[in-house]
Amino acid sequence: MTSERKIRANRANAQASTGPQTTRGRARAARNALRHALSLPVCSIPALSEEVETLAREIAGPGANAETRELARQVAEAQIDLRRVRYARHQFLSDTLSNQDYDSLANMRMNAKVLRALLRPSPPDMSMEALRKFVTSTPQGPHKLATVLSGEAKKLQAMDRYERRALSRRKFAIRAFDAARRRGSHDCNN
Amino acid sequence: MSRKSENKTEIAAASVPQRLTVFGPPLLLEGEDAAAYDELLARMCAAVKLVDVIDEMLIAEIVALEWEVLRWRRVKRTLIQEDILRALRNFLVGQFESNYALHKKHFKRYLAELLRNNLPTEQADSAETLAAECAPHTDEANEQLDVVLRRIGLEINTVLDNARAAKAKELVQEYVRGKQAAVTLVHKLLADAGESMDTFMAKAFAYKIDVIERIDRLATVAESRRNAALREIDRRRPVLGEALGRSVQHIEGDDFGNGELVLELPPAEGKNAA
Repeated sequence: MTSERKIRANRANAQASTGPQTTRGRARAARNALRHALSLPVCSIPALSEEVETLAREIAGPGANAETRELARQVAEAQIDLRRVRYARHQFLSDTLSNQDYDSLANMRMNAKVLRALLRPSPPDMSMEALRKFVTSTPQGPHKLATVLSGEAKKLQAMDRYERRALSRRKFAIRAFDAARRRGSHDCNN
Repeated sequence: MSRKSENKTEIAAASVPQRLTVFGPPLLLEGEDAAAYDELLARMCAAVKLVDVIDEMLIAEIVALEWEVLRWRRVKRTLIQEDILRALRNFLVGQFESNYALHKKHFKRYLAELLRNNLPTEQADSAETLAAECAPHTDEANEQLDVVLRRIGLEINTVLDNARAAKAKELVQEYVRGKQAAVTLVHKLLADAGESMDTFMAKAFAYKIDVIERIDRLATVAESRRNAALREIDRRRPVLGEALGRSVQHIEGDDFGNGELVLELPPAEGKNAA
C-alpha cells in the first residue's frame, strides 16, 4: 500500500508539473500534436471555408435548390481539401529540395560510421581531400529528389493517404451532385 | 525566360479559362518550366469544350497529374542515365590507365595548359616544348616530368589521374552528343574489354532499384488517379472524355512525353551519329 508520505510527495510534485506557464509556452504546447494540420476539416479554417463557399456557389449555379447547394458545397469542400493536401506535399518537397544541407538519415549514419573508423587507432588510408569531399558532399539534382523520396517516404505516404481520402470524397460528392441535378431537371420536365 | 517560352506563355494564357485559377497555381518543383505547364493545360483545354466548373476541376486535375507522371519518368530516366555515364567514365579511366597511347595527345595538351598556368611567367612560354618532352611516358620523360611537377608543387600520379579523368569526361560528352569518332572509339573499347552499355545499364538498375521502384510507384499512382479523373469526365460527358483521352495519348506520344525511359545514347553501331 502506498504510504501517506509518498502520496503527499506525489501530490506536491503534481502541483509543480502543470505544463508551460508563459503565454508563449502555452501557445507552443498547444501546437505539439500539429504536424501539417491536414486532419483538420477545411471548414474549421476561416480562409478555406470562404473559398469553399465561393466555389460551392459557382458549382451550384444560380437558382439552385437547397439540396443541390448542399451537395455542391460537399464537392467544393472535397476539392479545396484536395488542393490543400497537394499544396502541403508540394511545399514539403520544395522546402526539402531547397535545403542545401539536406541528406538522408542513412547517408548521415554512413558518414558517422566512416568518421568513427577514422578515429580508431589504426584508421583506414584516406586523403584529407577525399575525406572532406565524402563528409561535406550532399546529393544534388535528381539524386537529391531521389534521396528525399527515400528518406521522407513515411511522411509522403501519410500525405498521400489524405489525398486519397479527399479524392474519394470528391468523386462520390460529384456523383451525388450530378444525380441531384438529373432528378431536378427530370422533375422540371414532368 | 526565352523567347520560345514567352510565346508559349502567351498562347497558354489566351486559351486557358480564367476560372481554372480557382484550383490554385501549378505545383512546380525547382527547375520545372512554368510555360511548358501552361502549354500542356492550354492543349487540354483546346481539345474539349468545357461546360461547367466540375469539368474545369477535373481538367485541372488531369493536367496536374499528367505533369506529375512526366516528372517522375524524367527523374527516373535522368537518374539511370547519370549512373550509366558515370560507369562509362570509370571504365574509360581504367582503359586509359592500361593503355597510355589512348590519351597521349590529350595528356600533352593537358600538361601544356597545366604548365602554362603554373610555371613562373618567364618560363610559361616554354610550356609547350616542355610538355612535348615530358609527355612520351618513357622512363626518362617521366623522370623529367616528375622534376618539373615537383618544382610547381604537384605530384605526377595526381596529374596523370586528373588528366585521365578529364579525357574520360570529354569523351563521354562527345559520345552522348553522338560524335562519330567518340562513338566508334567507345564501342571498340567496350567490345575489346567484353563489356557493353547494357552491362552498365543493368548495374545502374541494380544499384538504384529501390529508388526506381519508389519513383515507379509514384508515377503509377499519378497515372491511375489521372485515369480515374478521365473516367469521371467520361461518365459525365462521354464525348468530352473521349477527346481528353486522345489528347493525353498525343501528349504522351510527342515532345511532352519524352520522359519515357529512352536513354539518350547513340545507337550501338553509331551509324546515325552526326
